[in-house]
This record gives sequence, structure tokens and C-alpha cells, in this order.
Amino acid sequence: MNLERLPNEEKLTLCRKYYFGNVYNVCVWGFAFLPFLWLVNVVWFFKEAFVKPTYTEQLQIKTYVKCSGLGFLLWVAVLTTWITIFQHFRAEWGEVGDYLSFTIPLGIP
Amino acid sequence: VTEAPVPTQNQHPEPGNGQAPPQRTPQVVESEEDEDEELTLKYGAKHVIMLFVPVTLCMVVVVATIKSVSFYTQNDGQRLIYTPFPEDTDTIGQRALNSVLNATIMISVIIVMTMVLVLLYKYRCYRVIQGWLFLSSLLLLFFFSFIYLKEVFKTYNVAMDWITLAVIVWNFGVVGMICIHWKGPLRLQQAYLIMISALMALVFIKYLPEWTAWLILAVISVYDLLAVLCPKGPLRILVETAQERNEPIFPALIYSSTMVWLVNMADTGLGHRPMTRKNSTEAPITQVESQSLALGPAPLSPPEDDGGFTPNWMGHQEHQLGPLQSTDETRREIQQLPSARPPVMDDDDEERGVKLGLGDFIFYSMLVGKASAAASGDWNTTLASFVAILIGLCLTLLLLAIFKKALPALPISIFFGLVFYFATDNLVRPFMDQLALHQFYI
Repeated sequence: MNLERLPNEEKLTLCRKYYFGNVYNVCVWGFAFLPFLWLVNVVWFFKEAFVKPTYTEQLQIKTYVKCSGLGFLLWVAVLTTWITIFQHFRAEWGEVGDYLSFTIPLGIP
Repeated sequence: VTEAPVPTQNQHPEPGNGQAPPQRTPQVVESEEDEDEELTLKYGAKHVIMLFVPVTLCMVVVVATIKSVSFYTQNDGQRLIYTPFPEDTDTIGQRALNSVLNATIMISVIIVMTMVLVLLYKYRCYRVIQGWLFLSSLLLLFFFSFIYLKEVFKTYNVAMDWITLAVIVWNFGVVGMICIHWKGPLRLQQAYLIMISALMALVFIKYLPEWTAWLILAVISVYDLLAVLCPKGPLRILVETAQERNEPIFPALIYSSTMVWLVNMADTGLGHRPMTRKNSTEAPITQVESQSLALGPAPLSPPEDDGGFTPNWMGHQEHQLGPLQSTDETRREIQQLPSARPPVMDDDDEERGVKLGLGDFIFYSMLVGKASAAASGDWNTTLASFVAILIGLCLTLLLLAIFKKALPALPISIFFGLVFYFATDNLVRPFMDQLALHQFYI
């Protein structure tokens, strides 16, 4: 998809949809555990929102990009914390650790 | 099938009389043709490079996985239900017979699937086809990537918990579905297509026994050739039907090096994604090559292509395995039918990219992967087949530029690949080994 070809309103709609993560305008999937979607939104629309000269819908696009960026960073923080905790304490948790594990490394307790 | 952008031949709107171009004065036609030829060739080299990169990437991914993750080269004794005859038999004759039978079964499955697809298309059961493709890509994006991740983690001995894994797979899958079937950044879309081709190729490499795999490759190339070029081929029928109806077929999985947002396509009843490119020509160029394996309910449909060339068809079908011995297999069907072109877009020049069907990606990667996975596999054979495939691709694109219609992309490349692989394996490798053994440098 080539963003330049789109008229501005369409860009806004697209950005919004990527933010909400829905395709048909109703539900709010982006909040449904999809940080990757938000990342894509940020990267894709970054130039549009911040680099290009202003146009009417740009303000809204900026909002969406910022919100997506914030959401993504939040998710990264949460995931990193969880992964660190898990990796560190996996052995000590005993059974619960095993239960949570998807792959268990061999040769390491 | 590869598709190349059609040169500007038919770009000129007809004057009121609606006469076909050939009726213009010979002089005009000649100069036009010269121009067109120049344009064709000028675009040719750039587009060849544009296709080299994704094909190379796909192959690199497959080879890297094969070399590092042993799962894909292990023979677990599992087989696809499409290849019921085992290859670890006592005599060579028996093995040859079994592989021939396996290949026959596969090919007939593919042919049947293509027919079914053609029929479905003819009787306008678009919904069925779309649903099919949707399910197929769903399986590929979630299930196969899940297995892939599992094996990679096992290989690198990394602990992973279900929660993180769920988040990763979920994200990957959902964004993939959105990118492929709806709208998304071009690069991401291309990346996803490469990844799913690689996944598919890995599945084939794992579950097809040796001789069967080589046979299938050979037979599929022949079938490709026939299906696209023969007048009675199913793909041809499909293409012609689409042409008659003047409509794009369905979103297919075709790798395109550039994408143009097609505004009016979104309004068509089929609800296609705006993935297709607008082509400046008005004469549809269609040749669809389909390689469909009808295994299950979900082929992936190719995006409509109104560019010059038709991409490869690849049939993907999911096959639900009940018993323990079989495994899921998906084949994707990629169809491409050109549609009547919408009016000219001025800045279309840079936008013309080349299209290559995902089936082509898959089989190329499968060949190279098998070459590196083979027991005697070393880098010589892998590199040789890799180079052979690229050369074949080059030639195919050249032919494409000359003939200006959709061509099967498999035959030349696969033929070269097979020849180079077997030659290198049996001639060059022992030679190099002996040289190294005797420390003789040439």
C-alpha cells in the first residue's frame, strides 16, 4: 500500500483503524493485546504525522500515532518485566514454573 | 507464473472510432513498438532485481532454518496423507515405485483442486473461495508459526512461557491477517508473504520423503507449463472467464514488488483488498498458472492482478488430520486473473512492479531447502541450486518481457535447479572432496 496515493481522510481512517485494531469500525481490538499492531501504526504513519507539512486531518493522525506509541511502550514495559521475572524465577517456582513453561531448556535447572 | 508489468502498449485511449491499435498506420505502430520495447527492457532489469531480493530472502530463511533447527530434517515417520507410501523400503525398485505413486497422488490432488476452483469461480461461489483462502492463511499464520517457534526455542534451549508465546503468536498472526487480507504497509506485507512461503516450504521439506519431493517438483513444473499455456488448461479457462466477466478474481497471495492503491477495486462486489496494482494498459493480460493442491477447505486466493503478468497459482489447502500419522498441510491457491484495466494513471511508471506467485516462492525454497537438507548436503550443492534458480528466474523474466503475457515461473527455474543439484551432487562434490583430500588447489 502506498500511503501517498490515499486522500487525507482515508489516511486518517486507516490510522484510526490501525489504532483501534478493527476493520469494520466497531469493536476495539487494538486494545486486545496487539502491541505489534500499534507499532506498525506508529512506524507507518510516523512520517505522515510528524514530517509532512500540515493538513487538516494531520492533527488527529498525530493523536492516534502518539496514543499508539504510548500503548506500545506500555506493552513493552509490561512484557519485559514479565519475561525478566519469569526467566529469573522459573527454577524457583517449581511446579508452577513448569506448568507455565512452554519449552524447558535441557541441562539447566 | 510470473507477471511483469505490461508496457505502455495499450495506454493510448482509442479515438472515437474504437479501432484497435493494429489498424493505425504502420509507421505509428512501428515507432510505438520500438518505444514499447525499449520501455519493456528498461523496466526489465530493475524488476528482475526487485524479485531477486524476496526470493533470496525466502531461500535464506529456509536454508538457515534447515541448517540450524534439526526438527525439519528429522524423519519422524510421519507423513502427509497425500503421500501414503513410505520410502524406507528394502529395494530401490520398491522405493522408486512408491515415490512415483506418491507424486501421482499429489498431482491428481492438485489437479482436482484446480478444477474445483475453476468450477467455483465459474458458478460465482466467491464467498466459498474467499472463506477458503481466509481459513488457509489463518492456519498458516497461527499453527505453523507456532510449531516453528517451538522448534526454534527448543533448538536454542531457551525457556519460554505460554503467556509470552501466546502474545507473540497472537500478534504475529493477527497483524499478518490484517496485512495480507486487508491493508498494510507494503514492506510488511511483502515480509509476511515471504515468511509464510518459507513456513510452507519448510512443511513440505519435512513431510515429503526424498524421492517423492524431487519427483513432485519435476511434475509440478510440467503441470505448470501445461496449465498456463495450453488452451484447455484450467487456469486458462479461469482467466478467460474472468476476462469475459471483466472482473478481478479474488485476492490472491501474490507477491508484488510495488503496490498501487486501487480505489475503485474496493467497491467491487467481491470486496477485494486494494492490493492490486493499477495497470495502465487496457488490455488485460492474463495467464494464470495454478498449482493447486486441493487438500482442504482453504486455499488462499490471490489478489487480483491487473498488472501485466499473472502470478503463480498456488493451491493451499488445509488438510485436517484425524489420525496420528498424518499432519496438516496447507496449500495455497493463488489465482490471478487480470481484469480489465481501469483508466490510465499518469504516474504509473514507477509503480509497475513485477509479480510472482507465492507458489513459485514456495517451490523454489523447497528445492534449495531440500538440497541443503539432503544427507550429503553441503554448501556447494545448496549454492549451485540457488544460483540455478536465480538464473532460471532471470530467464523467465526475460521471456516475460519478450512475450508480454503471463508465463509459468516454475519450469525453467526448477529444471535448472534440478539439473544443477544432481550434477553438483554427483559430479562436483566428489571432485572437490578429492581435491581437498589431496590438498590440491586449483
